[in-house]
Amino acid sequence: MLNNGDLTQGLSVMAELKEKVCSLGEAAALIPDGARIAIGGFAMHNHPMAFVHELIRRRVRNLTTVGHVNGIELDLLVGAGCVKRVETSYVGLEEFGLAPAFRRASENGELELREYSEMVAFGRFMCSSRGESFFPSIELMGTDLPKHNPDIREGVNPLDGSKYHAIPAAEPEWVVLHAPMGDRYGNILYFGNRQMPLNLDLVLSRCTTNLIVTVEQLVSREHVYRLSEYNAIPRFRTHAIVEVPYGAHPSSCLQLYEHDKQHLRMYADAARGTEGLQEYLARYIYGVDTHMEYLDLVGVESLVGLRVVGGNL
Amino acid sequence: MSEKATIYEIMATAICRELRDDETWFLGLATGEETILLLSCVPLVAMAMAQDTHAPNSTIMIPGMFNPVVSEAPTAMEAEFGDRIRDWRCEMYSTMNPNLHEATHTRGEVDLGFSSVAQVDQYGNCNIVCIGDYHKPEVRLIGPIHQPGHLAFFGREIVVIDHEKRNFVERVDFISGVGFLDGPGSREQLGLPGGGPCMILTNKAVFDFHPETKLVRLKSIHPGVTLDEVRDNTGFTHDYIPDQVPETPPPSSDEIQIIRQQVDPRSALLPR
Repeated sequence: MLNNGDLTQGLSVMAELKEKVCSLGEAAALIPDGARIAIGGFAMHNHPMAFVHELIRRRVRNLTTVGHVNGIELDLLVGAGCVKRVETSYVGLEEFGLAPAFRRASENGELELREYSEMVAFGRFMCSSRGESFFPSIELMGTDLPKHNPDIREGVNPLDGSKYHAIPAAEPEWVVLHAPMGDRYGNILYFGNRQMPLNLDLVLSRCTTNLIVTVEQLVSREHVYRLSEYNAIPRFRTHAIVEVPYGAHPSSCLQLYEHDKQHLRMYADAARGTEGLQEYLARYIYGVDTHMEYLDLVGVESLVGLRVVGGNL
Repeated sequence: MSEKATIYEIMATAICRELRDDETWFLGLATGEETILLLSCVPLVAMAMAQDTHAPNSTIMIPGMFNPVVSEAPTAMEAEFGDRIRDWRCEMYSTMNPNLHEATHTRGEVDLGFSSVAQVDQYGNCNIVCIGDYHKPEVRLIGPIHQPGHLAFFGREIVVIDHEKRNFVERVDFISGVGFLDGPGSREQLGLPGGGPCMILTNKAVFDFHPETKLVRLKSIHPGVTLDEVRDNTGFTHDYIPDQVPETPPPSSDEIQIIRQQVDPRSALLPR
């Protein structure tokens, strides 16, 4: 039975549907120095790169990044001196080799590292998404990961006395993703037939409501109603949404464009030396004021060449 | 046709002979171009070759796909996932939720996987994290990624690497994948359900593990490679060379045909 008693009080005030659209600068300003942040994407795919560039331009410091399979997004943040602590299973550039800035910072002992395996790193986000603080795992038994990661503790299964490791949940304070489209109110739509990298992004999206999403294109509310089966992140989760075309470049935005191999190879070569890395940062990040200027530098021909519109649908 | 097998075909054949019918095999991400050739392309050819011969009921799992049509591989597997694989037919896209993927692994449903390493030691422990002291390493590598899971849960693991002296050490600098740790009984004591490593395959030789001592031993040397060459390029300090070391059986001419005409007709995976 509905209780009709107190409805009048709620009805007496007309509230607006909250628009969550903001600029890249406004969104990046939400991340304070020292924040614990999970940046979406997987290896070569779907990193919110324009957002990362903006964080670097803002010279944010002492971040803790909590991730699973990291690529150029983390390498740039580390190279630009934004990161104090890294929790992950992988930082690398796949066919383009090791992550040069991460490698250098690690070898100089400049980073606090919390090493996890890939599945355990995924599990940390699933654990957070369930609102739990830890989960048990036997995967790391015998490896040197627990020895060098004080956040992993050994425990005893009270049911059968066997040993396990207690793995802490990911618990990001902020999650930032890049997605194909969304509306002004924070509904985020993906195409169908999502591969695992995008499904992992959805797990991340469920770890907090401090969620920032950059999208290739803002769409209307009508569009969302029409394509509601593709709505993968309900608007209550989203704190801010920013329209950023080619916002994942040089990583891919799956089903729209591929990762930019030429650019990634150029970066991998350049960033091998400190000077080359600084030149890259100066040219592509500090040297531009807006994402559009960055895209101008990359060039229309390169960008158009990456398109795979409808890929894997 | 009596063309000679290439080194990659010899390696693929060595793997193929380790694969059994009714198994599931998993291949993950590789970093660096040479590693992609050894860790992605060679095993893919081996798995497809096995499916086309003695193991039709097996399942190939690669990032994003179950049972891809390997002969239609567009190019070498340079990146996990990605839209280019839409041109590559398969029985099922693993568009799955990550925890389904995880469950397959932790439930022990993968019979065999493949690893690359920067170091492997006499008990088959693997390292892809760092060379030197963890807190101030000489070389920082990619991080453990899925190696702990492979070696904890998979039925067995094949390590595929370039044959360089520095890759073979008495004890790895960081254990990111547990082999037989300190010897017999170690895995059982740790409660690890998987079988651990079964083979180290290089471009010069095949190693396996002594069933009792769990120490690495030289199993065979590839055609055209000498024992001295292997000895000079292997850093193990224990006695790993048995009295008799046979030649790695190369692919028969029929097997070469299967590789070149059925499995990799466009030489998209293996250079010829």
